[in-house]
Amino acid sequence: MSPLMPEISHRPAPGGAGIPRRSVLTTAAAAVAALGGSAALTGCSGAASASPSRAVPTRGPAGRPDRGGTLRIARPPASDAETLDPASALSAYEYLGALYNRLVRIAPDGTVAPDLAESWEPDAKASTWTFRLRRGVTFHDGRAFTSADAAYTLRHILDKATASPQAPVLSPLVDPGRLRTPDAHTLVVPLKSPHAEFPSLLTHYNCYVVPEGSAGSIGRTGIGTGPFRLVSFTAAGPGRVTAYADHWAGRPVLDTIDFYTVADMQARSNALLAGQVDLLSQTNLDFATARVVAASDRATIARAENAQWYVLPMLTTEKPFTDPRVRQAMKLAYDPAHILKAALQGAGTAGWDNPVPPNDPAHIATHPAHDPEKARHLLKRAGHERLAVDLYTSSYDPIFTPMALAYQESAGRAGIRIRVKTAAADSYYTQIWMKKPLMATYWYTGRPVDQLLNQVFRGGSSYNETAWSDKEFDALLDRARREIDEGRRRELYGQAQTLVVERGGAITPMFADRLVGISRKVRGYAEHGFEFDYLHIGLKGA
Amino acid sequence: MFSFLLRRVIAALGTLLLSSVMVFLAVQALPGDVATQVLGRDATPDAVAALRKQMGLDQPAWERYADWIKGALHGDFGTSLVTTKPVGGEVAQYLGNSAMIAVVTVLFAVTGSVVLGVVAGLYRDRWPDHLISTVSLVGMSVPEFVVATVLVLAFSVTVPVLPAVVLYGPGAGFGQLLPAVWLPAASLAIVMAAYIVRMARTSVIDVMASEYVTTARLKGLTTWRVVTRHALPSALLPTLHVIALNVAWLVGGVAVVENVFNYPGIGKLMLTSVQNRDLPVIQAIALISAVVYVVCNLAADLGSMALNPKLRTRGGRIR
Repeated sequence: MSPLMPEISHRPAPGGAGIPRRSVLTTAAAAVAALGGSAALTGCSGAASASPSRAVPTRGPAGRPDRGGTLRIARPPASDAETLDPASALSAYEYLGALYNRLVRIAPDGTVAPDLAESWEPDAKASTWTFRLRRGVTFHDGRAFTSADAAYTLRHILDKATASPQAPVLSPLVDPGRLRTPDAHTLVVPLKSPHAEFPSLLTHYNCYVVPEGSAGSIGRTGIGTGPFRLVSFTAAGPGRVTAYADHWAGRPVLDTIDFYTVADMQARSNALLAGQVDLLSQTNLDFATARVVAASDRATIARAENAQWYVLPMLTTEKPFTDPRVRQAMKLAYDPAHILKAALQGAGTAGWDNPVPPNDPAHIATHPAHDPEKARHLLKRAGHERLAVDLYTSSYDPIFTPMALAYQESAGRAGIRIRVKTAAADSYYTQIWMKKPLMATYWYTGRPVDQLLNQVFRGGSSYNETAWSDKEFDALLDRARREIDEGRRRELYGQAQTLVVERGGAITPMFADRLVGISRKVRGYAEHGFEFDYLHIGLKGA
Repeated sequence: MFSFLLRRVIAALGTLLLSSVMVFLAVQALPGDVATQVLGRDATPDAVAALRKQMGLDQPAWERYADWIKGALHGDFGTSLVTTKPVGGEVAQYLGNSAMIAVVTVLFAVTGSVVLGVVAGLYRDRWPDHLISTVSLVGMSVPEFVVATVLVLAFSVTVPVLPAVVLYGPGAGFGQLLPAVWLPAASLAIVMAAYIVRMARTSVIDVMASEYVTTARLKGLTTWRVVTRHALPSALLPTLHVIALNVAWLVGGVAVVENVFNYPGIGKLMLTSVQNRDLPVIQAIALISAVVYVVCNLAADLGSMALNPKLRTRGGRIR
């Protein structure tokens, strides 16, 4: 299930969380399959766990990989209409990092790091950005990479015909007609309004650089500057990429990566257990399955730390959440540590209603303490002394329901009655998300703080899942964008986070580690946010 | 005889039409439409609106249904809203893959379970009957995905002799799919066989207690001859219908098993299509399932006629 697509099955949309199309089963089938599948497997592991520790490992196998070999990756399909066009909403995500490069990427410490751009600087007001591009880079067809390709990529994303999910983020800032390429290795981006964090917006996975004039063919050819070049690709089917020896950062460790498409999460983990594949991408295994995998001779678990954040969004336009006191009470009433323990068995970090990940440089750690008494008091003042609300969940993600039940229990101690309702998984993101006043969802981390706060919390943004609109908050974001001084900018983003925590509609109990199933032969697995290290991953003894 | 056949064919066509209408209505009732499902959460409202228009989803439902029926009558099932490939060819490809599972399943499940059922019936209340009945009762009660998961654990994980999942797409060749056929077929056969065993057993017990079997025995015929010549043909009559229904179930009911094995068959296509709200594909599959049901039932009826002398005479009626 695959929730699915536990399958997932899920996809790092700008919306971050999985997309409904990822889960393949109808809800009933998904529920029983997941239940039955993992129950049967767990039973087996119980018998087989002669190993002293049943704990799920925190790291993948250590050591260096051997050169060469073929890595087999099982992935959930984006759709039967998948494409290799990185800008598209239907891009086959796993291929992108192998085939392409961006101008900039996100480093493990959350800062913006060079990729095809070696350096970048704003003018005095941060209203024009100049990117110095790497020299001697070639596309897979032998053409040299120049500033014209970089400018074309931005225009392609902004083109209405592409319908790119990143277009709404960039179009208020970038006028495609005003992009300048003074020489082959310089790209000048004049902005419509100043933005001191602009390069961070280009770290998104929709922003991979494609060759000039390739809009019509890139979805099939996959010609990029990345460490691998395309051998074959089938939408929602198998495909293969092979090492690109002339890659500017050196040859990758692996010779080949085979991608296979397995929509159902249980089927995906069975393929790993049976030794048919080496890595399950975009798959957060549930704990029962993770233990079985970890106990296996062939496979084990690696973690992508704090890879996703879980949310119970309250629609601030629906009663009773129109009242900020009720929203505040809903947050003070529950204990994030309890939910982290109950729903994730501790594999993550307590969120304390702040969606900015702990490893982001802009993250602020201060938050109000868990206070059920104050919650009671606030509800009384708001006239909702015996508050009872529906909380929607589904089998779309294996954590949704445990999280909902843990919240129900924790908030219950403050006198809030939560009725947990299970909705169909396959239409969850079209019928429940942003429609019901209170529901469960998640996002992939890896968005820079400016994009995160603007996309998910700014009034009127299409991904503002709580429909929260706060003039003071929006003004803070505007000020932060104009602020050149990095220290003061951090401070402003910190204040914005405080407003989200105190007034916003999002209950954010936790950041969850993604439990990634990998073969015991895999070495050098590293993944954070939307970054997957295709260059250094390899196999031992393959 | 002829009028019976004619009536059956007319009824069959009516069933097909009715089922296509009902499927169409059911899909309309599903929350969400193909444009939102295809584009997913990333989609901008503009993109959804444009796709809806491009797919003709802004037209009234009855108009779209009428268009489809017109095309279907000419052998054109339209194009998939998701892959934009012709539905006919796509469905045929997946159906061919499922047929591989179906053939293996039917061969093993039908022959094996009829034999087991007859044995159980002949040894009523003795140990072979107890063993067969208990096992088939368990087989009947356990859902197919549990059977499938246990088989994967046994033959793919513990003793890795067969693949746990199919890693190829729908275009996989015969040789690529062949090793992957056995576990899904075994899962289906176990679940399906249970019903046939129970039915065959009951029929054999009924027939063996009947007067003409007693007469045949009194005539001094050997047990073997009584069973093969007199008891079995009558005992198989009701079993035929159970077999027919189970074969029809194979077409529609393999969805869960195909999903567990990631097998590129018609059941998996159906799941994906329902999830994507890919109307033309769903309708084509529904129509094919209806055809299979109707044909299987018709075959069972004709088989009954062949086996039952009373029904072969003029004016004979099916109960």
